[in-house]
Amino acid sequence: MNGAEKRRLVSALVIVVLASLPPVRRALQSSMTAQMLIDIPLLGACGWLLAMAVPDGLGRALARWDSGGISGLLLASFTGLLWMLPRALDAAVEVPWVALAKLASVPLLIGLPLGLSWPRMGFVVRGVFLAELVATCFRLGWLYLISPVRLCSNFLLDDQQRLGEWLLVIGAAIFLYLAGKLLWGSFGGRGRGEAPQGP
Amino acid sequence: MATMTLYPDDERLPRGERIVFNLYLISAVALFVLMMLLGLVMRMAQGEWLSLGPDMFYKILSMHGAGMVGTMGMVTMAVMWFFLRKYVRLHLWAFLANYVLFLLGALCIIGAIFLGNYGALWTFLYPLPVHAMGLWTPNAAAVFMLGYLLIGVGALLFYLDAAAGIIKVHGNLGRALGVQWLFGGDIDPNHPKAVVASTMVIIANSLGILAGAVVLVMCLVNIYVPQMPLNALLAKNLIYWFGHMYINATIYMAVIAVYELLPRYTGKPYPISRPFVWSWSASCLFVIIVFPHHLLMDYAEPRWMSVMGQIVSYGAGFPVFLVTAYGALTNIYRSGMRWSMPSRLMILSMFGWAAGIVPAIIDGTISVNRVMHNTQWVPGHFHFYLLLGVLPMTLALMYHVVGSRRQAPPDSGADRIGLPVYLLGGLVFTLAFLDAGHLSVARRMATHLPEWIPTDHAGAIGAALIILGMLYFAIRISAGLLRAPADAGRTHAAG
Repeated sequence: MNGAEKRRLVSALVIVVLASLPPVRRALQSSMTAQMLIDIPLLGACGWLLAMAVPDGLGRALARWDSGGISGLLLASFTGLLWMLPRALDAAVEVPWVALAKLASVPLLIGLPLGLSWPRMGFVVRGVFLAELVATCFRLGWLYLISPVRLCSNFLLDDQQRLGEWLLVIGAAIFLYLAGKLLWGSFGGRGRGEAPQGP
Repeated sequence: MATMTLYPDDERLPRGERIVFNLYLISAVALFVLMMLLGLVMRMAQGEWLSLGPDMFYKILSMHGAGMVGTMGMVTMAVMWFFLRKYVRLHLWAFLANYVLFLLGALCIIGAIFLGNYGALWTFLYPLPVHAMGLWTPNAAAVFMLGYLLIGVGALLFYLDAAAGIIKVHGNLGRALGVQWLFGGDIDPNHPKAVVASTMVIIANSLGILAGAVVLVMCLVNIYVPQMPLNALLAKNLIYWFGHMYINATIYMAVIAVYELLPRYTGKPYPISRPFVWSWSASCLFVIIVFPHHLLMDYAEPRWMSVMGQIVSYGAGFPVFLVTAYGALTNIYRSGMRWSMPSRLMILSMFGWAAGIVPAIIDGTISVNRVMHNTQWVPGHFHFYLLLGVLPMTLALMYHVVGSRRQAPPDSGADRIGLPVYLLGGLVFTLAFLDAGHLSVARRMATHLPEWIPTDHAGAIGAALIILGMLYFAIRISAGLLRAPADAGRTHAAG
């Protein structure tokens, strides 16, 4: 493991430890918005950092099981599905072992596989993933805005609706970025006979 | 620039590609005949030449609408694929995946309609699918929507693969569309029109599919969790954003056949120009924002969107159409055109496109739309440009490929009879719709007033003639495509 990989590993562990401290946890789980837009993405980013710290040899060994990044994408997607359930968000606040499961699963089963698989994904797989990400932001945002009842018993309706608005904004921002990149951006691999990276 | 050789080597289809391409085309012509038969049944039922219960009528109308739109999308993607693959690398797996997902989606739709009794039309306008009044179950509506999702995923895979290939060669979609030449610079004469048109379709239709993916899943949620009420106007906007773009994209994919084939039959180059680049860029933007012209009757729609719908309606189709029609006519003028089935069909398609968009633009005017929108004027418009515009473009390619098998464009006596029968039927059929619209005959009605019936009879006669022509084309093309290339050498380039 080289110096950069060590730094990423240490950074990821420090963030996870900090995020698991009770005052920080309380703050990150104080609202549905914070939990979905800060807590979970932060833990996922730790996993991505871990992926960047994986030694080359291990990465190559894993690649054999992750053709085109599909296995990692599926693992991350199914784990992500679980943490999109309001019931799971509630349980993460109320039940200590579920909170622990979240602290472990989001970095290790979402961020890490995504970080490892992303470079292996081709344009089409990335495109499908990003299109679905944008669509999911819009769908969830719309759902949270129209739901007449609280979906999580720990969070209030106005918090849920605020999250809905943020998800619409985030979906629109990702979409605009992708549109700009596709229309005017530059992609690696042009003219070298390689598949374009991205979007 | 498109090649001037009638059957160039780079259009040769290896065995795997030929099988998949044949699957697309043969499935398409078979589905067209079947869907046209359903259309004839409806026109005969409206004219009281056939007894059909309203529940069956709406099931047939749902099948006809979804089937025609889906098939048109599928076959025009095959047109785009056939030519685009010469300029960028396309993967057969994406083309095949699109076909398989289309078939699975079609099975869902057929099952939902004929087993589940779904009859809320191809537009699945919320909340109609969930207010079945006992005619169909929520599951049937859900399966119908699942079918759309499958078809949409297939199309998305196809477009993403095409986008990857285009970006690899041209850097990004903007450059592929030619925006760098809008205000100056020397236009690369070898920049393929097929790439420009494909890029426009990728941009516009991917957006539509994204809108469809959002609204379809939201409708599915609503079916099983009715406590989540959707904003009906927002749902309708998204549905038409998706639906309008999907069907509109078909003509922009099909016209690639004209750009590629016409110069080969006229023997005159058909180079890219600045007006061409401008028209496709403008249409790309306008096609994306024109959908509110479907909602001019919705009083709750924001006023600015209705105004935008009207203004953009005037501009959306015109630029590309004008440049294409003018370009085609100047290309044909004094060219010594090689008259055969492909060239005849291309000329017919120019007429069908030209004449077909006129009623659309008239109906896109708010003051006219208030009177005409719910009349048969609207099906008159879209049947005109689909039957006599888009479909002939795809048939032109099919005939061209059939001709490539024996190195001569098809032009048999039966072909020369089949085309006028199809044209006559198409004109009678579509003019019957337009005349009915002029007489304020309501559209989407299973039963008609006695005063409306003469136009139904004319429409049914026209439909019968179209089917006669199309049935001949379907048999002729299927037999031609299934004929193995006589030799795999250079002489059977497209085979």
